[in-house]
Amino acid sequence: MERIVLPDIPNLNQIDVYLTNGGFESFKKALSQSPDDIIDQVKKSGLRGRGGAAFSAGLKWSFMPKTTDKPKYLCINGDESEPGSFKDRQVFEDNPFQLIEGAIITCYAIGAKVAYLYIRGEYHKWIKLMQKAIEVAYDRGFLGESMKKTFGNDFSCDLYIHKGAGAYICGEESSLMNSIEGYRGYPRVKPPFPAQKGLWGCPTTINNVETITNVPKIISNGWEWYSKIGAQKHPGTLLYGISGHVNKPGVYELPTGILLTDLIFNTASGIPNNKKVKCVIPGGSSMPPLRGDQLEGIRMDAESLKEAGSAIGIGGVMVMDEDTNLLKVLIRITHFYHHESCGQCTPCREGTGWMEKTLHRILEGNGTSKDLDLLISVAENIEGNTVCALGDAAAWPVKFMIQRFRDEFEQYVKNEVTIPVPNKVHSMRNTSAPLANLHK
Amino acid sequence: MPIFIVDGHQVEFKPGQTIIEASRNAGISIPHFCWHPKLSISGNCRICLVEVEKMPKLVIACSTYASEGMVVHTKSEKTIDARNAVMEFILINHPLDCPICDEAGECKLQEYAYSHGKGESRFEEIKNRKEKRVQLGPHIKFDGERCISCSRCIRFSDEIAHANQLTFRNRGDKVTVTTFPGELFDNPYTLNTVDICPVGALTNNDFRFKSRVWEMSSTDSICIGCSRGCNTEMWVRNNEILRLTPRKNDEVNSAWMCDNGRLNTFKFVNAENRIDGTYLRFNGFLKKAELSSAINFTAKKIKEFKSNEIAFIGSAYATCEDNFVLAKFAKSLGVQNIDFPKHIALGDCDDILIMEDKTPNSFGAELVGVKPINNGNSFESIITNIESGKIKALYIIDEDIASISDKYEKNLTKLDLLVVHSSNENKTTALADVVFPSSTYAEKNGTFVNFNGRIQRIKPAVTTEEMDRALDGMNMSRWDKFGTKFDRWMQGRRVDAKSSWNILSMLSLHLNGKMKYDMAEEVFADIASSIEEFKGLDYDMVGSKGINLKIKESIKVK
Ligand SMILES: Cc1cc2nc3c(=O)[nH]c(=O)nc-3n(C[C@H](O)[C@H](O)[C@H](O)COP(=O)(O)O)c2cc1C
Ligand code: SF4
Ligand code: SF4
Ligand code: SF4
Ligand code: FES
Repeated sequence: MERIVLPDIPNLNQIDVYLTNGGFESFKKALSQSPDDIIDQVKKSGLRGRGGAAFSAGLKWSFMPKTTDKPKYLCINGDESEPGSFKDRQVFEDNPFQLIEGAIITCYAIGAKVAYLYIRGEYHKWIKLMQKAIEVAYDRGFLGESMKKTFGNDFSCDLYIHKGAGAYICGEESSLMNSIEGYRGYPRVKPPFPAQKGLWGCPTTINNVETITNVPKIISNGWEWYSKIGAQKHPGTLLYGISGHVNKPGVYELPTGILLTDLIFNTASGIPNNKKVKCVIPGGSSMPPLRGDQLEGIRMDAESLKEAGSAIGIGGVMVMDEDTNLLKVLIRITHFYHHESCGQCTPCREGTGWMEKTLHRILEGNGTSKDLDLLISVAENIEGNTVCALGDAAAWPVKFMIQRFRDEFEQYVKNEVTIPVPNKVHSMRNTSAPLANLHK
Repeated sequence: MPIFIVDGHQVEFKPGQTIIEASRNAGISIPHFCWHPKLSISGNCRICLVEVEKMPKLVIACSTYASEGMVVHTKSEKTIDARNAVMEFILINHPLDCPICDEAGECKLQEYAYSHGKGESRFEEIKNRKEKRVQLGPHIKFDGERCISCSRCIRFSDEIAHANQLTFRNRGDKVTVTTFPGELFDNPYTLNTVDICPVGALTNNDFRFKSRVWEMSSTDSICIGCSRGCNTEMWVRNNEILRLTPRKNDEVNSAWMCDNGRLNTFKFVNAENRIDGTYLRFNGFLKKAELSSAINFTAKKIKEFKSNEIAFIGSAYATCEDNFVLAKFAKSLGVQNIDFPKHIALGDCDDILIMEDKTPNSFGAELVGVKPINNGNSFESIITNIESGKIKALYIIDEDIASISDKYEKNLTKLDLLVVHSSNENKTTALADVVFPSSTYAEKNGTFVNFNGRIQRIKPAVTTEEMDRALDGMNMSRWDKFGTKFDRWMQGRRVDAKSSWNILSMLSLHLNGKMKYDMAEEVFADIASSIEEFKGLDYDMVGSKGINLKIKESIKVK
């Protein structure tokens, strides 16, 4: 099968190789059509966002106001900080010019003159690679003013890299914009949505790196071609990032809608020492985990995974074998979201730490069955009540891991434990036990 | 106007109003910590989550616009569950140190914990620790553990004080408020953040640990720090003023006041050097005397001078009532030399509140007649004429002329008679032949007219010997009201002082029987009947928020 985002062409990251393989022809084709036509084609192709929520890319672009006296912006999200995700990096490394071409087509379609490519700060090497590619594109007249001459058209746009400073939350679209503007990476309260009021208060579209990299092929091969690849309602290919207990971890580009079991046992060559699978997180650490004994028939696309009780997320598949201590896994995941919570809104700021503390107490042997219910309840109190989706991302693993692996978690807790009363004021209030001696 | 439904009530709203604003106008209050009507919306505390029919999730009432036909539930099970959850989250790491927290009694968190908390906590872990007692600037201490990260203080500083000095530092539950590197939180308005902080995280150095809020009474007053005349509340315990806080008045000061006004306009009322009783000079020394003998003495003395040898000095710190009676008294003696000194600090002003005129009542003093009559001398020439010996007797109310300059002080020594009304000892009282004890703005009824021609009322918050707190309708604290054993009002100092208009009226009665007033209202009624701009007004009409006088363009303040 043909690969769309990471074609099997050696040295495609060299501009001349990219050009001999049809580079920037898509953009030429796009220029011969109206921006609305491009949006329409992307809409019809069925391309859905690869940054987590799988939202229709064409539909998102169509929200951009047609008549506005403000400049419009495109932000390309390469913050890639979700545990289990390492796919956009592959684009930076192997196919940077297709990303650039996707960016200028998108700018043309939405009427933006400037695009920002936001790359996580830890990706030093890839930032350098991308910066190099952008400079080459400017030199060859594929970006900036000289585009006009190259393509014989009035349209031109600029592309800048913005380097993140190490916060996962800056991958969230509205804090990404705050970060570019030079403010703290705090998500904004929505509405207003970015298409109404985004970067510097101007209409803005935000898409994931992989999403944008798909665009040139949709234009050159036509939306019908694209819409027939993979799952009908979520067409195209995905960059599956497979990690954990598999023989061949890595990034694989395959159609959407393939069987999860095929991905694990064929593509990634199965589990070391033929162990059984205990748990799979199919879309990056924030997505609800699936039980290893219930993987049969689950397909890797947004609709199928939703039905199976999880979500496609960014397509990072994390596999855990039968020897895995899920309590420790959950603690690690919860620690991540606790550490990365921006702290702006109450439920996430306070709840993530509470969950981590309680999980640690369970690990120390001081948990009871009641604590498991408490954890689920705290997670549910965070879920849906926060400014941004990091709250949900922190809540889901806790809620679903405990619900779906209750049998295992029950083994980590006892029925009765004597908790050394660490917080006297609080504990005084919720037990019928004798009051704690505050003067001790 | 369009209508939406809140808890079954039809509520009108203006398009563009949020659920919280529109509900509030209709008297339905939705809990909120981070939302403040004068600040931008941050939507971070989440306590205002409400259920809206046809919306998939709960929404925050502070940022969601009301729309025609929208149905909102602020008391549904879902709403209450979410509110309880947010309360629980806020409280898990809160130190719960209400017993030693200044905010207790006026704390939003405490209030909601009673009305919306579950009363118990499921949190059994160790609480987070944060920085405590951080001095953010000259006036404010910050307690990181009490802070609920609502960002009100940060938004205030940026949006209202136009001084972007505060920010959050760190992430997640380590977030804390701090100043930017190298900055101090030292803009002229910092203490307003203490008022709007919904908890006790920001405390006023000047007031910290002085009193529980319920031990104090609070009285509506007006700041005397400049001609803005910010509306304030004056907080008193045991007859001592402990703090001032701003009172909302969109016509004058929005909901704010400056730090200088808050800190430096009440201490002289409590000061040790108050003039307590009347003083007469005997053998070169000021000695305490009966008020009546001082009045006798003064009346007799004044008669010894020709009217052009006498001058009167009013004051822009004194009320319209005081100045009016002074002007009327001068007129009754045929004296034309009458004026008051200006206290202008050039350049000390901004486009927020602070005004260059550092007195509360210049406009009022002038309107009620404290200005040279016919060919009478202005303030400056009164001083010059004292130097040349043309003016021999000077009568001053509530001004410390000798402290303005050494020259003025020297000139005053040349007088044959110097009568002074003053609340505190100062360089001028030291030179006086008669010192009458005048009560301060905190101890009397009266009115000021601000720079904009708005007349505003002051009321007594502190008792003097002439006041009776019950008879004079003064406010009392929660404890005083119940007459508990904590009611120590009578133990506080009560100064023997009177309003200047009252002293003048007694003097006038003695001298020529031209004036007799028993209450400030009577003086005001006289003003209202004799001065154009005040026509038809009375204290009730002035009310607690003042009223704009009808000022002719030609005399609007320069
Ligand atoms: C906490 C958080 C972190 C996120 N991190 C990323 C990220 O690293 N990369 C990304 O593409 N999208 C990330 N997203 C999703 C973005 O908000 C946004 O939906 C996405 O970039 C849109 O692109 P798409 O429509 O092409 O998927 C994150 C969302 C949240 C809530
Ligand atoms: S949900 Fe978490 S990360 Fe998102 S705004 Fe709230 S505190 Fe910040
Ligand atoms: S801020 Fe409020 S709840 Fe917190 S300690 Fe003070 S009074 Fe108590
Ligand atoms: S100090 Fe007070 S006003 Fe400032 S963020 Fe904390 S709680 Fe809010
Ligand atoms: S008051 Fe609405 S979120 Fe704080």
